Amino acid sequence: MPRFKSIISRIVILHVVAVAVTSILMSLALSWLLNYATNNIHNQAMKKQAIALAEHLEIQPDGKLKLSLTPDLQGLYSQPYGRYSYAVIDSQNRVVFSSLKDRVPLFPRDAKSGDVEFLQRNRGDATVSGASVKRVVGGQTVWVQAGEDLDNRDVLTDDIVAEFFRSVGWIILPILFILLVIDIAIFRRALKPLRQASQIAETIGPLRADIRLPTKEIPREVRPLVLAVNQALDRLEEGFRVQRDFTADAAHELRTPLSILRTRMETLEDQQVGKALLNDIEGMTRIINQLLDIAELDSFVIDPHEEADLRMVCTEVLEFLAPLALAQGKEVALVGTANSVLVRGNAEMLNRAIRNLAENAIRHTSPGSTVEFVVEENGTVSVLDDGPGISDEERDFIFQRFWRRDRGMAGSTGLGLPIVQRIAELHTATITLTNRKPRGACFSIKFARLSA
Amino acid sequence: MSNGWPMRLLIVEDNVELAGLLAKGLKAAGYEADILSTIDEANTVLRTTFYAALILDLGLPDGDGLGLLREIRHRNIPMPVLVLTARGGLQDRVHGLRSGADDYLVKPFALEELIARLEAQLRRPGHLLGGVLRIANLEFDTGNRQASINGQPQLLSARETAVLELLMRSKGRVVSKKQVEDHIFGHSNDISSNAVEVYVHRLRKQLAEMEAKVQVHTIRGVGYLLAENK
Repeated sequence: MPRFKSIISRIVILHVVAVAVTSILMSLALSWLLNYATNNIHNQAMKKQAIALAEHLEIQPDGKLKLSLTPDLQGLYSQPYGRYSYAVIDSQNRVVFSSLKDRVPLFPRDAKSGDVEFLQRNRGDATVSGASVKRVVGGQTVWVQAGEDLDNRDVLTDDIVAEFFRSVGWIILPILFILLVIDIAIFRRALKPLRQASQIAETIGPLRADIRLPTKEIPREVRPLVLAVNQALDRLEEGFRVQRDFTADAAHELRTPLSILRTRMETLEDQQVGKALLNDIEGMTRIINQLLDIAELDSFVIDPHEEADLRMVCTEVLEFLAPLALAQGKEVALVGTANSVLVRGNAEMLNRAIRNLAENAIRHTSPGSTVEFVVEENGTVSVLDDGPGISDEERDFIFQRFWRRDRGMAGSTGLGLPIVQRIAELHTATITLTNRKPRGACFSIKFARLSA
Repeated sequence: MSNGWPMRLLIVEDNVELAGLLAKGLKAAGYEADILSTIDEANTVLRTTFYAALILDLGLPDGDGLGLLREIRHRNIPMPVLVLTARGGLQDRVHGLRSGADDYLVKPFALEELIARLEAQLRRPGHLLGGVLRIANLEFDTGNRQASINGQPQLLSARETAVLELLMRSKGRVVSKKQVEDHIFGHSNDISSNAVEVYVHRLRKQLAEMEAKVQVHTIRGVGYLLAENK
């Protein structure tokens, strides 16, 4: 059974097959019926002729039979006409009367022959078909046979049979074809609400998870599927909502106490103790922020129409990080193009990705050296450090959550690079990692450039 | 305070402890703050009382603070609104600002930062007006625009002074090259491309000669930052 891609093509093909089979069977049945009917008519006519002949038989005083036919009957059975013939046979199997010159029986007769029989026999080139009727005339039993030469049969009956396929048969095909066209139209109409539902379904995405498929016009047979899809969408939306709510609640529950703690320290009388504790709070804030970021990124979706200026984002990140880098005796610099580089993406997310890369680079670079940011016109941003670089064995681990090369290293949470990777994924951006000579690593992210 | 009386601010924050601490910190900076904890109360009070600015938390027990913000904008109350939120989310910033917030701070924030943002919104030079900016042994009197090191007044050209003042006002933050350009030349068009670099270079040299324990850092491709020597 071939697989059909569309319901309509399935209907068309199966319909064509059905039409072909039906036409053949119908023609066979009709021709059989027609033959049966004509044979029946012929047999009945022959029986009537035999009975009519028998009525003209009479017994003479000498005990001999006499057949006195009326002139029109004589004409009917005349040799020149040749279409009909008769024979009368007695109980000794002798042919008493016959329309044929050689006085032979039309059909062989035996003792078993009943009152009425329909028989057929080949005689010479011709096929004779007819009836044999048993009669008792004046004490003598005779069989009156009447036959018709089938080759000379009634022209009208013959014509009906012969013309049947040419005239009637060909009418069937256009009718079936029209039926097919109507069927297709009906199905197309019935499927229209499904097509409309599909168009609506195309607009559903994580950003528009509130849309549901219409069920009003949908055919009853398909409605369970549409309802099930809508229920699946409900569950998906609920999933997104739960995740978002969790992140929002967690953010509130974690950041508010931190806020209180921080403000309390800032208003402390003893500023020396306060400063040390503030450092701790800042570290903690960073970890919490990264955890919340990664939780949010799990259920985050980007509006495909958003755009961001990569160069501007880098400037913001550098402005934010420069004081921290300088405090560690390290420098940061932005090189590459001075023009704005528009890419597809969410500016805040790009900021987080680049900031995480940069924080990593600053952590690994040695004091007195510079972490360079390179922005290219093709939508690539690279962050270059002169740290130890990334060994081949580490490449498999660095993007795993909570993986850290040196667990004692301050400020590292093991979440920075997973955040970068997730953001790159969401933007279908590619991350490239190369080691620099003589030392150092270069992380590049290539975003989709917005055609100007 | 230059005005003679403290400015009144309204804090709408449901966490009583945080609100109290903020009020205390703001008081030290010369502000008087009232505290409310619901949108409902805030709506009522804002009908009758004028405040110089509103510090608004977003997560309130009777709804989202952004609703109150929209209501305030709808009623055309000319009051800067500084939003505080625990939502540091990726799309929250844009969202909050679009709804009419003048500025936005994610918890936990530095009190100093809150006051600085507030003063920027109030277009008020704040407690620095007529005051003295100080980094390490370098001082800058904003009143007479005089720089001094170890208490000794120093002689700087007008443009070097302008650059120094901008950098000292933005202490600890990066000042873009464009900002420096606008600050010393206004919006004039005929500035040679390296004019800013020339003045910064001169200022740096002067500060070194005067043995100031500060450093003007160049953040290549971005701008400048004045910081204490390590």
